[in-house]
Amino acid sequence: MARIGSRPREIGKAGWGWTAFTSVVSLIYFFPVLWIILTAFKTRSDALAVPPKFFFTPTLQNFTNVFFRESITAQAAQATEFPLYFFNSIFIAGTSVFLALILGTLAAYGFSRYPLRGNDTYLFVILTTRMLPPIVVIIPIFLMFRLTGLAGSYWGIILLYTAFNIPFSVWLVKSFFDELNPEIEDAARMDGAGEKRVFFAMCLPQILAGLAATFVFGMILTWNEFIFALLLTGVETRTVPVAMARTMGGEIGVDYGLLAAIVTLFLIPIFVVTYILQNQLLRGVTFGTVKK
Amino acid sequence: MAHLRVSDVVRRYGSVTALDGMSFAVEEGEFYCILGPSSAGKTTTLRAIAGLEPLESGSIEFAGRDMTRAPVQGRGMAMIFQTFALYPHMTVAKNFAYPLERDGVGRAEIEQRVGEVAELLRVTHTLNRKPDTLSGGEQQRVAIGRALVRRPKLLLLDEPLTNLDAKLRHDTRAEFKRLHRELGMTMLYATPDQLEALTMGQRVAVIRDGRVVQIETPRHLYERPLNTYVAGLVGAPAMNLLRGRVAAGNGGAMLDLGFAGIDLAHGDTGLTPGEPVVVGIRPHDIRLGADTGRGRVLEAQVHLREPLGDVTVVDLRLGDAAAKMVVREEVGVGLVEGSGIEVTIDPADLHVFHAETGTRLG
Repeated sequence: MARIGSRPREIGKAGWGWTAFTSVVSLIYFFPVLWIILTAFKTRSDALAVPPKFFFTPTLQNFTNVFFRESITAQAAQATEFPLYFFNSIFIAGTSVFLALILGTLAAYGFSRYPLRGNDTYLFVILTTRMLPPIVVIIPIFLMFRLTGLAGSYWGIILLYTAFNIPFSVWLVKSFFDELNPEIEDAARMDGAGEKRVFFAMCLPQILAGLAATFVFGMILTWNEFIFALLLTGVETRTVPVAMARTMGGEIGVDYGLLAAIVTLFLIPIFVVTYILQNQLLRGVTFGTVKK
Repeated sequence: MAHLRVSDVVRRYGSVTALDGMSFAVEEGEFYCILGPSSAGKTTTLRAIAGLEPLESGSIEFAGRDMTRAPVQGRGMAMIFQTFALYPHMTVAKNFAYPLERDGVGRAEIEQRVGEVAELLRVTHTLNRKPDTLSGGEQQRVAIGRALVRRPKLLLLDEPLTNLDAKLRHDTRAEFKRLHRELGMTMLYATPDQLEALTMGQRVAVIRDGRVVQIETPRHLYERPLNTYVAGLVGAPAMNLLRGRVAAGNGGAMLDLGFAGIDLAHGDTGLTPGEPVVVGIRPHDIRLGADTGRGRVLEAQVHLREPLGDVTVVDLRLGDAAAKMVVREEVGVGLVEGSGIEVTIDPADLHVFHAETGTRLG
């Protein structure tokens, strides 16, 4: 960690030219996100204005519209289902990424510490499940889910997302276990630790940062997933990306302000998770490279 | 009866045989060294004794019990690993306490014993720190402390000085001797460094390719190496090994080294005339100057000088053979590279080995 701490000084040494260059590149990458956030605060006419407006009077109407819909027939505005969709996204992604992390960690430990004949083949096979594009497997999965009654249920989509996240978890967590010094585990055994303790008290605490990083990456992937969610969730279990798509079309066309407001709200949870785990994340992604 | 007995231990990794009938016995309270180059099987031997490696065959007996199939936990041994293997997520105090907690020692006693061991190894000031904030020497002492805190009956040390710088190595060598004297514990020390083995070991087992070559006290190992392998490994600079042939001399055997013949003083040596041999002579046993009363005088040429501070290692050319000689620094300064000198060799200092098997003759 000492080396990470000393890094700002090195960046300072790189000079203003380099700093300006990286700032411009970052801005180019971040610009679409910035534009969406700005659009979320615009009125409908500002959002569609040509040329685009950078300065405008902000409004919170779009955010209100996410949760309350003006109704032609009823007097008062109606509450939308978006709170449920947000809950669904958090619950489904959180549960499945967490489950995949537990299963993936156990499998990764096995692969890393108990090498068997054909391990490389198994690892490869696990990865192949991610090689097919979702669109190829979606129809058989949809049929299976309908047959077993899993379609539209929480457990159905959680099961699928867990499976979807396991290969990634296994590979990443295995690389963290591979980095550890096995003599530490042997020392623990000689100190009287059984295999369970070696795993829980020695190996796991050493890779916590890596587990946090794996969790965040899994969250980001799952959070944004659209096609499986579109076909396999029902009215009660719909996630935000699907609900977002459903706001498009209809009698008033695409309401860009509304969409931008949903996206802005949708960014918040993943931003919070990443922010909380940022230190772990940095250590996780640099695992092995900054180790002495 | 031996405290620790390793008998005919075989350990294979796939097609590679790491231990090939390893056998030796260690007495209680002994400081015993295993000396061998890397991949000779030192680490595997220690790991096998600790129970960290399954054995293909052979047995391990310790403190009167057959430990061959006993679990790692509870063998009553401790090990100091080459990488120190400190628990990185625990403070130094927790590292010390861990083995005691596993043994079910009470809280108050843990605290007392952690304090004692920290004091013994002078790391009390580091107790609340994590291992990665310590210096190499401190990490080493913590590793020793964690091994000692349970008061093991046998301490296994796997090249514990390899990861330290030269100055620390010297200090830690003295530290190990002190601990051994103060604690009277049986210590089994694996090292590739002959200096460590000779200075610390009460007995040294020289190993090669997973098998013991010679077991001796450091003194005997140095004076009567069993073969050219041991001769080359023990002593620094290494023993000069010259090709030669046995010839008949005046009233006994003579060694024909090509550039010169040396009469062997001792009468019947069991050497057959005509037999090809390897003749060993330690660099310290080649004396500068002509002294016919002490042995055979030879013409030599100074090829290179390596001043080491207190002594100078001189690379000599004897005919077309090369040999090293060690002289005191003030003498070495006077030697000019490329000049001819005279040296004296006492036949009694010669070691004669079989040319093919390398085994000691006579």
